[in-house]
Amino acid sequence: MPSPAARWKDARAASWDRLPSAARPLAWLILSLVVLFIPFFDDVWMRMFFLVALYVTLGIGLNVVVGLAGLLDLGFVAFFALGAYLVAIFDSPVSPAVNGTVNYWVLLPAAVGVGALFGVLLGLPVLPLRGDYLAIVTLGFGEIVRILLLNMDNITRGSSGLYELEKPAVAGYRVDAVSEFYVMIVIAAFVAWFATARLRDSRVGRAWEAIREDEDVAAAMGINTVKYKLMAFATGASIGALGGAINAPFIDFVAPQSFTLQVSINVLALVIIGGMGSTQGVIAGALILVGVPEVLQFEETANLLEKLGWLRDGMNTAIDGLNGLSPMNLAKLPPADEWGEKLALYRFIVFGALLVAIMIVRPTGLFPSRRREMEFAQTSDAELPAGGTV
Amino acid sequence: MTPLFLASTEVWLDQLVNGLTTGSIYALIALGYTMVYGVLQLINFAHGEVFMLGSFAGYGTLVALGGNDLSGGMVAVALILAFLAAGGASLGTAVAVERVAYRPLRNAPRLAPLISAIGVSVLLSHLVDDGFLNGGAKFYPQIFPDGDIELGPLQVTYLQLFLMGSSLAMMGVLYWIVQQTKTGRAIRAVAESRDNAALMGVNVNRTIVVTFALGAVLAGFAGVLYGLFFSSIRGSMGFLPGVKAFTAAVLGGIGSIPGAVVGGYFLGLTETVGRELLNEIPGVNLPNQWKDVIAFALLVLVLIFRPTGIFGQKESKRA
Repeated sequence: MPSPAARWKDARAASWDRLPSAARPLAWLILSLVVLFIPFFDDVWMRMFFLVALYVTLGIGLNVVVGLAGLLDLGFVAFFALGAYLVAIFDSPVSPAVNGTVNYWVLLPAAVGVGALFGVLLGLPVLPLRGDYLAIVTLGFGEIVRILLLNMDNITRGSSGLYELEKPAVAGYRVDAVSEFYVMIVIAAFVAWFATARLRDSRVGRAWEAIREDEDVAAAMGINTVKYKLMAFATGASIGALGGAINAPFIDFVAPQSFTLQVSINVLALVIIGGMGSTQGVIAGALILVGVPEVLQFEETANLLEKLGWLRDGMNTAIDGLNGLSPMNLAKLPPADEWGEKLALYRFIVFGALLVAIMIVRPTGLFPSRRREMEFAQTSDAELPAGGTV
Repeated sequence: MTPLFLASTEVWLDQLVNGLTTGSIYALIALGYTMVYGVLQLINFAHGEVFMLGSFAGYGTLVALGGNDLSGGMVAVALILAFLAAGGASLGTAVAVERVAYRPLRNAPRLAPLISAIGVSVLLSHLVDDGFLNGGAKFYPQIFPDGDIELGPLQVTYLQLFLMGSSLAMMGVLYWIVQQTKTGRAIRAVAESRDNAALMGVNVNRTIVVTFALGAVLAGFAGVLYGLFFSSIRGSMGFLPGVKAFTAAVLGGIGSIPGAVVGGYFLGLTETVGRELLNEIPGVNLPNQWKDVIAFALLVLVLIFRPTGIFGQKESKRA
């Protein structure tokens, strides 16, 4: 038996070697940029980066459930809420159920554990379901959890929410600045990535992928499908709870209205848009679906757009010309200083349009894993199951 | 003699009528889900938004024709025009969505059309909310004559009676189309097997569009009925009725038209009467929102214990 250290080195090397050689320096570059460039950005930008990294973490968690095990989960927000509420209930001075506070570093692993437990509990009843049915039932679970949180006034304070959370402390130093929380969530994302990458390359990961390809065949090959499906739910749920537990002291206001279906949709969409099963896909998906709508709200974006006034004038001249050619009465572009405001207002419309456009241009996502790409190339109409009778 | 229940008989009968009223709306929307699922095995997530746009088209028509000032026979004329406008708007939306967002993905990986459908749903609801309404709501004109009709012990308002009656009539028309016409036979053939239907000379693409269109018209009608009954309409209004109608379709057995209707009424009744039943337990007083919990819990239970639904015949596990 090689020593644990040597085994860890082998394992790390195995994950690393899977990256294309060109991507390795790029990965280091991105990693160092992520940390080194923090001082250049103000809190507004850091908040955006935090949000992107949070969604990367959540995406990595959901990727296990959807991308690896093929279980379509639209209720992921439930676990995110669970982690946030676990921290808030024990660390908020307004919490009606608990007096005093518990150390954050006790609650964080507890959130991961409770997340895994609830992943199993919610996974048990949906074990026999597949595909779209699973999606709609998990969606229902997510909504039930939100309504329960809203109505359990004596624990959650309903829509008034829990706030003024105790900030996490490291050796007497309280984590408070946006950039410090950002470092925390980046570490969490790396832990989640490493854990899931190791699981993916293990016997467990192969069992998940076998279940994803064909559950009946996997069962026939001796894979305990119940055990591995529950493991997938538990792994995903614990990472979701981890994200929630870090987000709670950051936003410092935990209320049911933050845990809507839109969160589940965002996470699922970025996993699928990135290309299921790949981590670089999750990062790209989070940047596009979470980062872009946030950037559209920035004042800088509005200022930048204002500088494009010449472009607007040019376009309007062209529109005038077109209108002169035929009486189409094309509308002119609004003044450039209104563009930023309009973009911020319309960011969800942009989000929806992006989802449709990316799916049509690249149905397998932006960075599909090679194995999945080959698998999809073979899917044909004839393989689709027959529907019910009308 | 001590009464059997805490709530009075009137409360129960009121809840029964309420259940049948909301059940009618669920049933109308559920038909669109079930038919599209039948032919494409796709949960048309944008169906709730098709319903929403129909509701807005009906609202626009009623307001353009005079809104609250309408009276007498003009109300009937305005309603018919509102139904036509709503059906048309929903039909146009659904056909456009099918063409732009679903058809290019017909042979794509299974999750791609689902994500595309979610994208359309987010796009349309926010287009109305952020693009046109700035987050506000619109209110349907109250044009229905007040007044109740006594049917034995039941007290039903004119509006409720109209809502239930007109939905039944529309479902009847749909059932006739699907069972008796050539188009209906094509729909059933494509649902049975797309490839075999094509071999038998059915124009599959056209049939799929017709299926979307039929479901959309019913959803548009439902949108007007919803507006007349609940008054306030907004861009996000399609989500909850949409999910519940899907629940109804699954309850009845997805792909089955009678199933969607029965599922719709069953869900409407379970929500209202079920909450009242739970409130019978001493010390329990559930707020209205719990009807959503009941609906979702029911969906989970049905899928676990009878995944084929009430009328479903085929194995729906592989859905």
